[in-house]
Amino acid sequence: MIKITELEKYYRTEEVQTIALNKLSFEVKQGEFVAVMGPSGCGKSTLLNILGLLDDPDGGSFIFNGIEVAGFNERKRANLRKHNIGFVFQSFNLIDELTVFENVELPLIYTGVRPADRKARVHEVLEKMQIMHRRKHFPQQLSGGQQQRVAVARAVVNNPKLILADEPTGNLDSSNGNEVMDLLTELNEAGTTIIMVTHSEHDAKFSHRIIRMLDGEKVTENILVNA
Amino acid sequence: MIKNYFKIAWRNIWKRKGFSAINIGGLAVGMASALLVLLWVQNEISYDRFHENGDSIYRMYNRDNFNGEPWAWGTTPKILGKTLNQDYPEVENVARISSEEFWLGVGNKKFKAEGYITDTGFLKMFSFPLLKGNISTVLNEPSGIVITENLALKLFGAEEAIGKNITVDQSDVFKVTGVLTDLPNNTQFDFDYLLPWSYMKTRGWDDSYWGNNSVETYVQLNNVASQASFDKRVQNINIDHTKDSGNPSSTEVFSWPLYKLHLYSKSENGQLVDGRIVTVRLFTVVGILILLIACINFMNLSTAQSEKRAREVGIRKVAGAPKRNLIFQFLGESTMIAFVAGVLGLILVQLSLHPFNTLVNKELYIDYSSIQFWLTFLGFMLFTGILAGSYPAFFLSSFKPIKVLKGTMNSSTSILTPRKVLVVLQFSFAIILIICTIIINRQINYAQQRDMGYNKNNLIYTFLEGDIRENYELIKQELLSSGAATAVTKTLSPVTQRYSDSWGFTWKGSTEEDKMLDFIIMSADADFANVMGVELVEGRDINIHDFPSDSTAVLLNETAVDRMRLEDPIGTVITQGDQNKTVVGVIKDFIIESPYDPIEPMMINGPSSWFGVLHIKLNPGNTIAEDLALAKGIFKKYNPEFPFEYHFVDEAYAKKFESVQQTASLAALFAALTVFISCLGLFGLATYIARNRIKEIGIRKVMGAGTLGIVTLLSRNFLKLVLVAFCIASPIAWYAMEKWLQSYSYSIGVEWWVFLAVGFLVILIAMLTVSFQAIKAAIANPVKSLRTE
Repeated sequence: MIKITELEKYYRTEEVQTIALNKLSFEVKQGEFVAVMGPSGCGKSTLLNILGLLDDPDGGSFIFNGIEVAGFNERKRANLRKHNIGFVFQSFNLIDELTVFENVELPLIYTGVRPADRKARVHEVLEKMQIMHRRKHFPQQLSGGQQQRVAVARAVVNNPKLILADEPTGNLDSSNGNEVMDLLTELNEAGTTIIMVTHSEHDAKFSHRIIRMLDGEKVTENILVNA
Repeated sequence: MIKNYFKIAWRNIWKRKGFSAINIGGLAVGMASALLVLLWVQNEISYDRFHENGDSIYRMYNRDNFNGEPWAWGTTPKILGKTLNQDYPEVENVARISSEEFWLGVGNKKFKAEGYITDTGFLKMFSFPLLKGNISTVLNEPSGIVITENLALKLFGAEEAIGKNITVDQSDVFKVTGVLTDLPNNTQFDFDYLLPWSYMKTRGWDDSYWGNNSVETYVQLNNVASQASFDKRVQNINIDHTKDSGNPSSTEVFSWPLYKLHLYSKSENGQLVDGRIVTVRLFTVVGILILLIACINFMNLSTAQSEKRAREVGIRKVAGAPKRNLIFQFLGESTMIAFVAGVLGLILVQLSLHPFNTLVNKELYIDYSSIQFWLTFLGFMLFTGILAGSYPAFFLSSFKPIKVLKGTMNSSTSILTPRKVLVVLQFSFAIILIICTIIINRQINYAQQRDMGYNKNNLIYTFLEGDIRENYELIKQELLSSGAATAVTKTLSPVTQRYSDSWGFTWKGSTEEDKMLDFIIMSADADFANVMGVELVEGRDINIHDFPSDSTAVLLNETAVDRMRLEDPIGTVITQGDQNKTVVGVIKDFIIESPYDPIEPMMINGPSSWFGVLHIKLNPGNTIAEDLALAKGIFKKYNPEFPFEYHFVDEAYAKKFESVQQTASLAALFAALTVFISCLGLFGLATYIARNRIKEIGIRKVMGAGTLGIVTLLSRNFLKLVLVAFCIASPIAWYAMEKWLQSYSYSIGVEWWVFLAVGFLVILIAMLTVSFQAIKAAIANPVKSLRTE
């Protein structure tokens, strides 16, 4: 599903050039659950942004579903993104001014789904995430775990082929964290590919494979037997 | 999707009530100001555009050289209209207008009203619709009068006016033949009634003299004639008709389109250029600027809050929103705010229309039943919304989602951020307007304090009406003996107005060129210098009582003596045609016309000339009320048919400043509005920035910074912007005012201290605005602010 070859990304300020990704290569197959780990600044988030088509690599190749997407312009990337990729962030990133229902509905609006279908689909997902009763609340009225469940609901509402999760349990206590990890596992078992950046060895154990990074390079790759 | 936008826009407005109030309030005030200006400008440019034949109507003008300069003026000989009507087939209709102010009487009701004596062509040419009567006949009857609806109501109440009699000027009886709808508020014509031209003959006022320019002449050309070809044919009409007479004229004639009359009427080098259009342009620019300033507030506050909206932009982008959707969303939001502000603005306009009308001396109103108005208003709100939202929309929609979601987006610290540019722009406008207001006011004060050359205190005038003329000597004697007055004189015109001027004079030593020296003409029977308090420099005053030969005596002002190059003026004989006058005295210059212009040569003729006005120097020993009560009794006795109507000279003189005073008041109003809106924006921005730097302030305080230090820290950047604005605004204001003052020959210079004072004033205002928030932030408990982070 994803194949990156010698992917490069630099950050430049006036005086310094920092290498965020240094000729990174790996592959992720459809239906896999991959965890990316490494210390702060190793390039995990940069990688996730590129995989999520939010950012453009400076070099190398990135094949998504058989299409070379490195060098796509913003419009093309946005189009590919909204139909194929869902995001889950550490800080949830819900819009405070929208209700739970409206937040989850957002991706459907941008993919042009009709209102009646939107409502049905959002309800379906909210039921699944067990937050239907909270659909009229605003994000600040929810606990962290509930907020992240809304974020996951929003990520999956479009039935994306890929979910990118950036430390999804980072802001949660362990029981809420586990709930979210269970959700992701369920989604994966239903066929969704998941790539998750995490600091938590505990969370990483939910995945099939752990890619460890340091200074923009892949250091090791462990396949977890129990997965 | 649009519903979603509405929801979020509304929730954002509601959540940040303070900012929203500043945003909407500022925009509403700006829109209200722009609407008022728009109403005013619309009224100005629509003057006399409603006449159906408007495109083919022209007013006739003269052009000649005076004192070496070509000059164009719009009063013509009476014979011109008649000749055009008879000899020029391209002329379809002609209307001559002689403006008069007569006493009108019906039964016991009696009051003065302004009207026109005019030709039958008037109503055929202009679109002043008749409610009653037949257009082609109403002005045909020699004793017919056409009145406006308003006058009909005043004279006859609810009764039918047609066929009723009105007494004009005490003795002439006219029958109402037509009633006109009241004049609209956008016509330069101003009359309550129309009298047929034959009345000019009845009064003996009609003449065929090509040198007597005393009426306005309008023509309507037929469809085939062009203005250019007509002008070519009439150019020498006056010259041709006078070349064989004893007094050949050099005056050329030309036509000027009706629709240009109101805006382009200032003669410059014999051409009609500019005029009111300059003020119209000026205030159009000011109106646009105020709206722009209000929009800038919106832009500044919106982009200042961008960090709050940034995350939303990021999430929407991640969810697949393309940039144009976001632009559309933010433009929609600003348009929504503009609509709320627009409605508020309209209410403000309605509330302020009455005082504004008083200020600009107009009767502006909003026609709420007009679809055109609502469409324009809708367009106006849409335009404002898009203008105000354009920059924030592009700014916000261009955020990179990863940066905002990761929180790595920094607010820019570069020297030239658009927000700073906008604040500078705003304050530049404000400073320019304040400087202009002050200089215009100082110019008015300067002219008001100019020595007018006569004493306007306790001086009144009244017109020689009814029996005053024949009982003049009796009235004068009684006014003096009763102690109501200390001196009385008859004159041609009020001392504050030029009624007549004349040229073609010769004297011993005069040249051919001197024949084109134009004199303001005044007249007096006796005691002129005494009544007016004008200083006699040489010779004596005219006095028909002591010097019977004084009927042809003349007083000159100093400028006249100077321009005539007379070394020993007393006794000089001045000839015009077959008339000789002898100079008996020289008076010091006094201002009769514009207090901004240099004094022109003036000739005060003795009692052989015509008189229209009585000047009375009230007795300063009594109160004015006592003097007036005495005078009223005397006038009632000798002129019982007319109420005693008098005018104070000081009030008449003050009228000379009205138009500039109006400009000054408008400039002051707009300057105040600009400052208010700018400060509102600055306040919002300061609040925001203080809130944003709360952690920094907390840390600084923990490290030992004092309140003053923090206030300085927060205010410094704003003051820098105001200073930059001052540097930009000063030369522009200087240039504009220098140009404006050039149009007055008696004017102040542009003074540097005004700039300095305005600079300090604006800095002070900005300081006060910003420091409120800065002090609030500085005295806050740092522990609290650090903990919330």
